[in-house]
Amino acid sequence: MQVMALDAIETTCVYCGCGCGLYLHVENNKIIAVTPSLKPPARGRLCAKGWLLHGFANHPDRLREPLMRRGDRHVQTSWSEALSFIARSFDEIKRDSGPDALAVLTSAKATNEENYLLMKLCRAALGTNNIDNVARLCHAPTLFALGSSLGSGSMTNPIASLLHSDVIMIIGSNTTEQHPAVALHIMEARRNGARIVAVDPRRTKMAKIADLHLQLRPGTDIALLNAILSIVIREGMIDEEFIRSRTEGFVDILDHIAEYTPEVAERICGVPAGLIHDAAVMYGGAEAAAIVYAMGITQHAHGTDNVQAIVNLALATGNLGRDGSGIYPLRGHQNVQGACDMGALPDYYTGYQKISEFREKFEGAWDVELPASQGMTAVEIMSSAGSEIRGMYISGENPALSYPDSSRIRKSLESLDLLVVSEIFPTETTRMADVVLPIASFAEKYGTVTSTERKVQLIRKAIDPPGNALPEWVVAARLLEIFGISSGYDTSADVMREIAALTPSYGGISHERLERGGIHWPCPTQEHHGTPVLYRDGFPRGRAVFRHVDQRGMEDERFTLIIGRSQYHFHTGSMTRRVCILEREVPEAFVDMNPRDAAALGIRNGTGLILESESGTIRARARLSDDVREGMLFMPFHFRESPANMLTEWQLDRFSKIPALKMVSVSIRREDA
Amino acid sequence: MMFFLEKRDLPELLRRAGAFFEIIAPVLINGEPQLVSWRGEDLALSAPNPLLPPTRLFLPPRETLFTYLQESGLYTFEVPEVRNRLIFGLRPCDLRALSLLDRIMLAEPFDELYSKRRRSTAIIALNCTEPDESCFCAQMGAGPEAHEGFDLLLTDLGERYLLETGSPAGIMLARASEELLERGDDVEKRKLMRESRDRIMSARPWLSPERMRSRLREIDWRSLSEECISCGGCSFVCPTCHCFTIADLGLPDGERIRCADSCILSGFHRMASGANPKARAEERLSSWYMEKLEHMPVRTGLLGCVGCGRCDRVCFSGLHRTDIFR
Repeated sequence: MQVMALDAIETTCVYCGCGCGLYLHVENNKIIAVTPSLKPPARGRLCAKGWLLHGFANHPDRLREPLMRRGDRHVQTSWSEALSFIARSFDEIKRDSGPDALAVLTSAKATNEENYLLMKLCRAALGTNNIDNVARLCHAPTLFALGSSLGSGSMTNPIASLLHSDVIMIIGSNTTEQHPAVALHIMEARRNGARIVAVDPRRTKMAKIADLHLQLRPGTDIALLNAILSIVIREGMIDEEFIRSRTEGFVDILDHIAEYTPEVAERICGVPAGLIHDAAVMYGGAEAAAIVYAMGITQHAHGTDNVQAIVNLALATGNLGRDGSGIYPLRGHQNVQGACDMGALPDYYTGYQKISEFREKFEGAWDVELPASQGMTAVEIMSSAGSEIRGMYISGENPALSYPDSSRIRKSLESLDLLVVSEIFPTETTRMADVVLPIASFAEKYGTVTSTERKVQLIRKAIDPPGNALPEWVVAARLLEIFGISSGYDTSADVMREIAALTPSYGGISHERLERGGIHWPCPTQEHHGTPVLYRDGFPRGRAVFRHVDQRGMEDERFTLIIGRSQYHFHTGSMTRRVCILEREVPEAFVDMNPRDAAALGIRNGTGLILESESGTIRARARLSDDVREGMLFMPFHFRESPANMLTEWQLDRFSKIPALKMVSVSIRREDA
Repeated sequence: MMFFLEKRDLPELLRRAGAFFEIIAPVLINGEPQLVSWRGEDLALSAPNPLLPPTRLFLPPRETLFTYLQESGLYTFEVPEVRNRLIFGLRPCDLRALSLLDRIMLAEPFDELYSKRRRSTAIIALNCTEPDESCFCAQMGAGPEAHEGFDLLLTDLGERYLLETGSPAGIMLARASEELLERGDDVEKRKLMRESRDRIMSARPWLSPERMRSRLREIDWRSLSEECISCGGCSFVCPTCHCFTIADLGLPDGERIRCADSCILSGFHRMASGANPKARAEERLSSWYMEKLEHMPVRTGLLGCVGCGRCDRVCFSGLHRTDIFR
């Protein structure tokens, strides 16, 4: 009777970083329906992926038992055998080649508790700082630029703050499709009179309803943002008091910025000077102006400079530390913010405590000696796989599709001595693993996740995991035990207690408190209510810093391919492509192409195309659309049949080491030609 | 038959019914009303109607039609069992939606699983004496008072409930709690329902099915759908929506599932050739309303909108407001 009962469990959506609350309606250990929670941020709304969230957890493809490689096959094994094999193999590699021959990539889909324990496993048990997470591929530049300029590498204001904005500038973000709960607030603000400036090479849904759409050439954001800043300065729209009292370095950038006249920017960006001027006056003239951005800004070899250009503009106009103002980097995964907060980074422990400064604190707390040298970043780990790196633990990630230059990634992974992958479904990456660990999905465990607005929220267990799958925190705790580090965690709440004790910004956070609703970090004490808006009373580093950034030269390519996501799929599709309705909506990859380009090449809607870059060659069908400019193409990266990341390259940003995943120059031809 | 039931005795009446049925009732979970198996918690009877329409208990958004198991080339099938249930607190609007679904799902081709669930479910409906702002059931002729389709019907008279029987099963349920009941009359109920109805009507006096139908062809669907993100939410919470798709998951063993589908999604309309007669959001939106207001009445004799207001409550772009028909 109990098993069959109908129940409704409130939890947090697993897909993007918006952190929408929803109820899973459960019967007979199956999710039969999903409805939205009425609480912020989404207040009773969901996107199609959210409404159809009942589609994958009970899928028969779920991994149910640990698997180990025997020759070219995976055979079922027990947890104890799998885990002791992992520990033995890691130990051997460590003995032969040192701890830095090992690496861990944690998951932005795993909870804070799981990321924390994997981080502890990596540092305390394996003895290396070679740990990173997918943030390296999305918001590493944000972490670097916002962190170094302002003090905290995350969204400055909560999503609801956008309701107080007079002007919202959206740059490099297909907000409506990729962060619907944020778009919801932007559209609501628009209905109440806020004006919208969309800066995007594509005519996105947001661009269509925007007051101004600046359809720039891909990769020319800095020229555009600098020109906007130069107009704001020339028109006297800067906030002198704010600049004087709360920032430094403004005078140093003045001369450089003056070179970016609207006319110069027009030549570089392909946006009419008049339109740039209008956008500048709109942003500069606002009482409270917000800048919302996403992967279109960060996923470049100059991603950090892009973010800095945004920071410069917000600082010059005093648009920080107030409701309606602020900088809104939109996080793409449920818990990519949390993975970073938990120190799944090569240079930080939890709460961005530098390993160079806080090593002793963590050595004391964990009673173990910790490695001192900074670890490698995700792409560096991949590029050393098979040489310096010999053993790797990948949690819930599918780098074989999501990392740049996929064919090279596959070779790297194949050349490892030991590859452990924990997953909920078989993927291109589990196929290459020596050990595959079946993990409980978001609906099958308790824990916390941190959304894009720094809001720590609970996820709650609604159903049992399939077969012998386990929550990853249990797996990590067991591995810690095998490595002789006593853990003694009975629940994930115990893990959160340890996190809170070691992490000032999470100091006041506990599962008990979160039962009553999410909390925005920093929340240093049990009595503290959290901090929705950062920098109200100043910057943690004293003064915020301007740093001038220059536009890089752009080569004139015949076709620039922009890579992104579709509204109906998530990432490498391991979840959404198993939801029959989502798969029906977008069953295969497409290449958006301007009809004029298509006509010149004899391409029609649906024509098979071969796309070729220096890294690889793929096939996909053309979809003619006015939403892309001439010379520009767009395709999503969800599809293993047309893996867009076969085309991308390992060009890294020098500060944040993010690879340039957003765009690549390609040549195209008709499949039948 | 009409009885008075003291408010404090309602849980006892339900507990006794629990001997025959699994009780499903609205309960507050983390502050929000949800339909769940009742285990004696406080009932959320003054909260707004839960977002998951109770019609979805008969046609779940995801359900297993059967599981299949292959052995030596032969398949065996297992059909899920259906249990006796009692849904408590169903509102008149949802009750009307259920009547409409009956006329569709129980007509040829007869839907076996729906029918099984329908036959093994008892319903205690609850009249709406305190309608929500978003309710317009009175204009749609579906509420705030239920007239048929229930086994028992409750009306909140303030101090106590009026309990009315609507079926032989309802009489049996009432008998099981005989000593809790006192013979009653509907004098007060009629007054309360009149007031409730007046309140709903006066919030939108201009609204009527005729008005909506005549506006269908005047509305500028294109600009209205400018912000529509085609999430399908309106159709997933609509109590009269019943479209589904079927998929087989897993080889060689697995299950055949049925999934709520949505005509708000573009792929719903796409043909095998790739051509799509409703590729634009505005076309899908207008045809959704057309279905509710014109086609469903022709097919079933009942209006496809029951005025529950759920589509408005979940709409991303706020376009499902009754104002568009003004």
